[in-house]
Amino acid sequence: MKSFIHSFRKTVPAFGILLFTLFASCQKEARLPENFTEITAKAVLFPDYQDVTIPANIAPLNFMITDSSATEYVVHFQSKAPSSDQLLAGGGEDGKIMIDSTQWRNLLTASKGQKIAVSVYGNRPSGWVKFKDYNLHVAEEPIDPYLSYRLIEPGYELYRQLGLYQRNLTNWDVHTIYENNRTYEEKNNHCINCHNYKSYSTQDMLFHVRANHGGTIVIQNGKAKKVQIKDSTIITAGVYPSWHPTKDLVAFSTNKTGQTFHLYHPEKIEVMDEASDLLLYNPGKNEVKHILRTRNDMETFPNWSPDGKTLYYCNCELNKVLDLETMPDSMIAREIALRYNLIKYSLKKVDFDPQTQTFGEPQMVVDAPAKGKSITLPRVSPDGRYVLYTEGDYGQFHIWHKSSDLWVKDLQADTCYALKPANSKDVDSYHTWSSNGRWIVFSSRRDDGNYTRPYIAYFDKNGKARKAFMLPHEDPEYTLLLLRSYNVPELTTDAVTIPASELRECIYDGDGEKAKYTK
Amino acid sequence: MSKNPHNKPAAKRTPVHKAAPAKEQKQRKPLILPILPLFFLLTWAWAAIYYGDVFRIARENSFWVASPEQMKFILDQSYGGLWYIGRLALQLFRYPIIGGMFFAGILAASSWLLGYSMRLTPRWRWIQYIPALFYIGYTTSVGLNLFFEAETGRILGIPLLAFAILLIWGVIIKSFSKKATPSFVRIPKDETPRQNYLQLGVCILGLAGSISFTQIYRPYVPVISKMMVGQINQDWDGMQKTARANADLSYRAIAAYYAMALVQTDQVGERVYDIRLDYDTLHVVGWDNCYNNGNSIYFPEGNYYAGLVETSYHYAFEKLVMNGPCAHGLRMMIKCALMRNEWPLAEKYLRILKQVPFEGDFCEKYGAMVRNPKLVNADPEMANIRQLEPVDDSFENLYQQPTFMGYNLRLFKARSINAWKNSLAVCLYTKLMPDFLQRLQPLSGSIPPENFADGILLMTNKYPELEKMFNGLDFRATRLGGFMQEIQPYLKDRPGFAKELFPKYKGYYPYYYFFGNLKATKKREPQQQTSNSGVN
Repeated sequence: MKSFIHSFRKTVPAFGILLFTLFASCQKEARLPENFTEITAKAVLFPDYQDVTIPANIAPLNFMITDSSATEYVVHFQSKAPSSDQLLAGGGEDGKIMIDSTQWRNLLTASKGQKIAVSVYGNRPSGWVKFKDYNLHVAEEPIDPYLSYRLIEPGYELYRQLGLYQRNLTNWDVHTIYENNRTYEEKNNHCINCHNYKSYSTQDMLFHVRANHGGTIVIQNGKAKKVQIKDSTIITAGVYPSWHPTKDLVAFSTNKTGQTFHLYHPEKIEVMDEASDLLLYNPGKNEVKHILRTRNDMETFPNWSPDGKTLYYCNCELNKVLDLETMPDSMIAREIALRYNLIKYSLKKVDFDPQTQTFGEPQMVVDAPAKGKSITLPRVSPDGRYVLYTEGDYGQFHIWHKSSDLWVKDLQADTCYALKPANSKDVDSYHTWSSNGRWIVFSSRRDDGNYTRPYIAYFDKNGKARKAFMLPHEDPEYTLLLLRSYNVPELTTDAVTIPASELRECIYDGDGEKAKYTK
Repeated sequence: MSKNPHNKPAAKRTPVHKAAPAKEQKQRKPLILPILPLFFLLTWAWAAIYYGDVFRIARENSFWVASPEQMKFILDQSYGGLWYIGRLALQLFRYPIIGGMFFAGILAASSWLLGYSMRLTPRWRWIQYIPALFYIGYTTSVGLNLFFEAETGRILGIPLLAFAILLIWGVIIKSFSKKATPSFVRIPKDETPRQNYLQLGVCILGLAGSISFTQIYRPYVPVISKMMVGQINQDWDGMQKTARANADLSYRAIAAYYAMALVQTDQVGERVYDIRLDYDTLHVVGWDNCYNNGNSIYFPEGNYYAGLVETSYHYAFEKLVMNGPCAHGLRMMIKCALMRNEWPLAEKYLRILKQVPFEGDFCEKYGAMVRNPKLVNADPEMANIRQLEPVDDSFENLYQQPTFMGYNLRLFKARSINAWKNSLAVCLYTKLMPDFLQRLQPLSGSIPPENFADGILLMTNKYPELEKMFNGLDFRATRLGGFMQEIQPYLKDRPGFAKELFPKYKGYYPYYYFFGNLKATKKREPQQQTSNSGVN
């Protein structure tokens, strides 16, 4: 019986794929139209891949063309490199342009550092039209091949099925790092979040498990262990992590976080901390200590500089908003909720001596509240020159703030500026650098205002970002139909190798070892 | 037939005429009924008429599209393929007549195959109906859990699996047996009337038993489902009729849908108390296998029709997270997105919903609004809701739950007189008279709606100036005086007399004030589990 069901389960999708393959194989070969009318309008593409800079190792940028009357499409890619390689792709009434992977790879490899001119033709009842051409710029530098992320319904209180996944950016492969329970089981229901890697490698990584089977899962040398980074002096547990680039250390923030739902506001949800501090955790020794522990300030989102001598973080001077001297702790959450748009974070840093493992005094890096703004999620570039962060009007959970944009601080020139070409009118937030510092991947809600999608932008040697493009999918309609957000995108140079079954075993096996608190 | 004992005496009693014996024999021929077709018809009637709305709502709480990628959340589960097929078949209940016919057809065919495969003799043929009747009984016994936090693919997936197994079994038997296959529709020739009537009796008893069980133990199931269907069809008058026809059934979900219909027809000040509002407990089990108050059934709609579109979206989305997408949830989210001018989001949900069978009309109607936003405010339902939207932003969490009640209890700014009326109605319902009085000013100088007038009169002892503020209270004051005298003997045991007095004072606010909804102040309803909540 089980095997029957199992084989049936396997058969249904397989049958669909077979039908699709048969249909695809029946499609006629794309041919450039001989007669056409040139029009000045650009073709409307989803995702918008027009005039973007792309890495040579990216998977084909399949897309959909939306035109009110065309029933057939042909797209011509012509490399501007001396080799003049070209590629043709065709699409039917649904406007889906699916590009041959091998031809795409050859085209991009031959076009490194060059442009590819793209011509789109549509067959309208009046005959073929040629839309305005656009270019793809192929960068010299590749992007790290693996992007890991969490897939989860955007926001809200409840969770059921969610998982961590890793996409190979050079093709369509998706590897499941870990998924919680597929069907609802009250006693096993748990959330997973904050996956993080040491120096763009999966050899040292961690993520948190919340609710049942809760703890922090640390994976080192191919082995997973569960730990409890908790203590009576620690607000909750380790939350937002950052691996030290060379030492066996992780900086965490520890946050008491809550969320509340707007009644009449385009941003739907406000996620607020009512307290936060910074921790330093040693996975080898399973020891934890405070870096900063204050009542007046909320410190969060730590991030190490590549040399491991500076720790950047975000800081909110809560006592500037609330009268903490007279206010009991029990009132803080409510009062913060009432003043949520006055809560603003600046970018600060503390020096760190890796030998003695001691910290210096906090120093201001970007005083965003002084200009009425709030900074979150600092990420230092691999060359140590830039700090990439998100700036919004208030708060620290910018994924719900439409004002949030990507900014950088050029530490050498001591200037801050927005990455305008990469930003959008909607949310642009959680971001990561590639290991060569030439690419950034970030979460954006620019498509529908609700579901975050990973966008990739080139970051050139002069510190300027180019127009961002959406992570490509084999079926370009995929993200339009997906009811989940891509959460916390992280680039790595290698794939996660520890099997999901081993992680499950580690998560389900006991409470995990409690970290020893040191001073 | 010749062995039939009924035939022999008939032959002996044949008198003189030659033609008569044949005629009389024909007259006395025992009535043998085609039980399978009858079983099919009875089950069809049960599934399409009596339980049709329940199945329809199960379909609305289900989701099926052809794409395996989009159905991965089901296909990846144990028996996912079966639930996939079951969900597909359940789509037929978009039209309960068609769905019911399919359901009855599967059960009747399975019964027939069972009888054939087990080679049941006429004496034991009644057994072939037992599994089908048992399944109908099971469907009835789970009540609202047919669709509430349950896998809807089971409803038809299990019968379809049983049918498939029986079909294979039947084919195997057939290939080894030379015995003729019994007809599905013809009158069986090998049954005695007793055997025939026994089968009929089993079928009727089984179905009647299921209906009786529902009427006795789960009477709210068809009613709530009917109200939900009414809401989907925007049949506000029908919803009110249903609620009033079942005025004695007191469940929060019925009251909530009734209130929605009253709000939409501007009768919230007049007809709220036409139904009993004491709230018995629903038999509903959540995903956690614990008894649940079932409030999440109506939270998205309750908030939507109170003008709290954001909150409605919140709860519709929570349902999506916990139960997966469903046609009804997607429709709610589309309406919310349109009301909030989130055109790309509405388009996204419409793109998904368009793939669900039978959703074309909805997608066409609301898809036009994406292309022409002016149509949103031109839609009567949406225009009504627009009037009730909050004036200023605040946080849902700052209000008493459910938000559509808590928000209205603290309403101080409104877009329309209807929003004020809703707020006044909630104050009356919660018996928070100071809050009610605080909000009366916008109605000053008018003839207040009946319930409001009675609420005002209840307070005139304390605040005599109220009588001067409003017109048309005199007649109602006389009635209140009589009521206060009549109820004196009953005030000592208000919970005990509440139900007894309801038929007499149905629709009269002072009755509710003294005798209605008393449990709410004594015992808290079980709260829904929120252990699986967090910041996502």
